Amino acid sequence: MIRLEQVTRYYGNTIAVNELSLEVSQGEVCVLIGPSGCGKTTTLRMVNRLIEPTAGHIFINGQDNSQIKPERLRQSIGYAIQSVGLFPHMTVAANIATVPELLHWEKSRIASRIEELLILVGLNPAEYARKYPNQLSGGEAQRVGVARALAADPPILLMDEPFGAVDPLTRERLQSQFARIQQKLKKTTILVTHDLDEAIRLADRIAIMASGKLVQYDTPETILSRPANKFVHDFVGTDRALKRLSRISIQSVIKPSPAIVMDVSIEEAVSVIGSRPSVWVVADDGRFIGWVDMTSLSAATSVREAIVPGDVDEIAITASATLREALSRMLGQGLRNIPVVDEKKHFIGEVTLSDVEAVTAETAETGA
Amino acid sequence: MIRRFISRDSVALVGSIIGLSSVLPGWLTLKPSRIVAGTSLRLWQSSDWEGSTVILGLWLLCFVLSLLRGSKLSALMLGTAANLIIIVTFLLAGLVASNLLEGAAPSARVSLGAGIWMTLGGAYVVIFAARQRLPDSPLWRNLVSWAGLAALGVLLTIGWLGNLSILQEFSGREERFVQELLQHLFLFGSSVAAGTVLGILLGIRAARSTGAAGPIFFISNITQTIPSLALFGLLIAPLSALSFAFPVLREFGIRGVGVAPAIMALIVYSLLPVVRNTYVGFHQLDPGVIDAGRGMGMSRGNIFRKLEVPLAAPLILEGVRTAAVQSVGLTAVTALIGAGGLGWFIFQGLGQAAADLILLGAIPIIVLALLVDAVMRAIITLATPKGLGVGKQ
Ligand SMILES: Nc1ncnc2c1ncn2[C@@H]1O[C@H](COP(=O)(O)OP(=O)(O)OP(=O)(O)O)[C@@H](O)[C@H]1O
Ligand SMILES: [Mg+2]
Repeated sequence: MIRLEQVTRYYGNTIAVNELSLEVSQGEVCVLIGPSGCGKTTTLRMVNRLIEPTAGHIFINGQDNSQIKPERLRQSIGYAIQSVGLFPHMTVAANIATVPELLHWEKSRIASRIEELLILVGLNPAEYARKYPNQLSGGEAQRVGVARALAADPPILLMDEPFGAVDPLTRERLQSQFARIQQKLKKTTILVTHDLDEAIRLADRIAIMASGKLVQYDTPETILSRPANKFVHDFVGTDRALKRLSRISIQSVIKPSPAIVMDVSIEEAVSVIGSRPSVWVVADDGRFIGWVDMTSLSAATSVREAIVPGDVDEIAITASATLREALSRMLGQGLRNIPVVDEKKHFIGEVTLSDVEAVTAETAETGA
Repeated sequence: MIRRFISRDSVALVGSIIGLSSVLPGWLTLKPSRIVAGTSLRLWQSSDWEGSTVILGLWLLCFVLSLLRGSKLSALMLGTAANLIIIVTFLLAGLVASNLLEGAAPSARVSLGAGIWMTLGGAYVVIFAARQRLPDSPLWRNLVSWAGLAALGVLLTIGWLGNLSILQEFSGREERFVQELLQHLFLFGSSVAAGTVLGILLGIRAARSTGAAGPIFFISNITQTIPSLALFGLLIAPLSALSFAFPVLREFGIRGVGVAPAIMALIVYSLLPVVRNTYVGFHQLDPGVIDAGRGMGMSRGNIFRKLEVPLAAPLILEGVRTAAVQSVGLTAVTALIGAGGLGWFIFQGLGQAAADLILLGAIPIIVLALLVDAVMRAIITLATPKGLGVGKQ
């Protein structure tokens, strides 16, 4: 748990952080966001004493951090930054081993930890452990940076724009990977970002800052539906209804839907379709294959022939996806309903555009 | 296509042209005695036609090869030809000198003329160019760089060149030569060592505090612009005053002239390159790297030892290399204020107008500078951490 109490930091006469109070509960992700120069980095770096506050106190699990020796404090807090700062003269493995070595872990323990972490961040240890940072892509370097921050299994994680310096697609992947890791590890995290979508996606709570002050500190849902003032209102923008969809899981709108296997007769297929526009087709083991509709059936001699094949990765969506992803997939593929599959790509049900619209309208009302 | 064909190695071309024009001036000079002007002999006058043809042919080969810049193979051939030129030149010089002196008066001398120096100079320009094009094969690079010099070493030890005037100057002065060589090594070695330590300390200080950087660079830049002789002069007065005030200091060699001012001046000269490179080495460090180290709980000492030093080492050593190579040459001047060193032969030779005596001092200094340069380069390669040089695989 991290608690900031009336923390102030001056640089000469400019005030970078102004009487900021903030509490991050155990296992929660707090995202700091706000215009450039509003004091996010300064706030973050005061937690691990890279910067000392001019006034105020910061408590880590109830203990005033100014009472803890800076080196020891920092070794117990994971730290990842935008520029990554991998040590260019050390291998990926040696980079990750930094804090464990400072803590005098045994060699064998360090080695197995390196392997474990590389797997966690999705890099093959056999391939990557001995590489040097200049042999990594930007995204790979960021992942090694995260692995290094997690090396000694610190309960707290500080991240300053950790996914800032990579292309949008890679950032997207890193974010979902981080979300997965965080779900598993439950680190108490403060993360700084410029990207509101990233904040909404990853935060348990968002702290919006302006000119060194905390403007609003709330769950993403509340920030989006009830901005505290005009500044927050403008900051989250006019598309906040859409943004809010990325906080809502499709779980509540997944509907069971009939599906046929390939060997059924055309008559059976037609009867299953009934008044529906189409029906999904699955393999014998339940894997999603595609769909058939009246038009495709009428031109075919068997169901097998009538199947419109669908690439699972392009049209189907997993049960853990958000409404926003479902919506963007429907719009992108021009479909009024899309199939939902589990991790093994087995068909579960479907989501329809009208249901998504209904939920959107509902949240828009409560948010107004 | 045509561009490709005429794309040439202009450095090698310059070397080849120097080499080809070396046939114009005299190659060897036959003198009745060591300081009297003698008769100058061209390449074809000083050797039989076979020898001349081999050298001329090799130079023509170099010329053509440098017009057809291309593969590694052509670079290798260039390097080989240039080394052969060096070896054949010395073989000829030794042989011809013995022939010329046969039956001549004992005071007669055969000295190397401008033509030979031009050929050697041209050959090393070509070797330099060839080396540049053999970057990924250290074995060949070293072979191309050192084969000629190694052959010269062999010829010297077996006495093949004993009839050349410069070696006749050497014989009879062996003891003095060894003494001055050791003195030279001592002067340059101790001053570079001290300059390195001091320079690194000052460089780090300058990199750490902006307040200190100004004055440190002001002083080390100024000293660099004072001519060396003037600096020795400036040091003589205070040091002799000091030694008169405290005669006990003389026992440690602290006098107005001699070793003390020489070493002090040499230290001052070796300072700037080391200070500058240390400063840059520490300043160019990626702030993200240091911040990450701090953020993970590395202590100041840890950051210094594990991050800053290994990352700045290649640049610092580059500064030491510059300082060392420069000092080898500068140390020659210290002979003027009685500190000794190989410069002693140069100034003796200048006084007596004996060119060969000058060379006896100058040539070992050049060889020493080349050796120091090569050794420092090897050290730098070893000290450069993997991961700084390796590109993407
Ligand atoms: N070392 C420093 N010296 C002087 N002023 C500083 C220093 N560091 C930060 N500031 C000032 O403090 C304020 C807050 O800086 P900070 O880096 O915390 O902002 P930020 O919110 O992280 O900005 P960004 O989004 O651009 O990273 C800025 O006005 C900045 O100019
Ligand atoms: Mg910042």
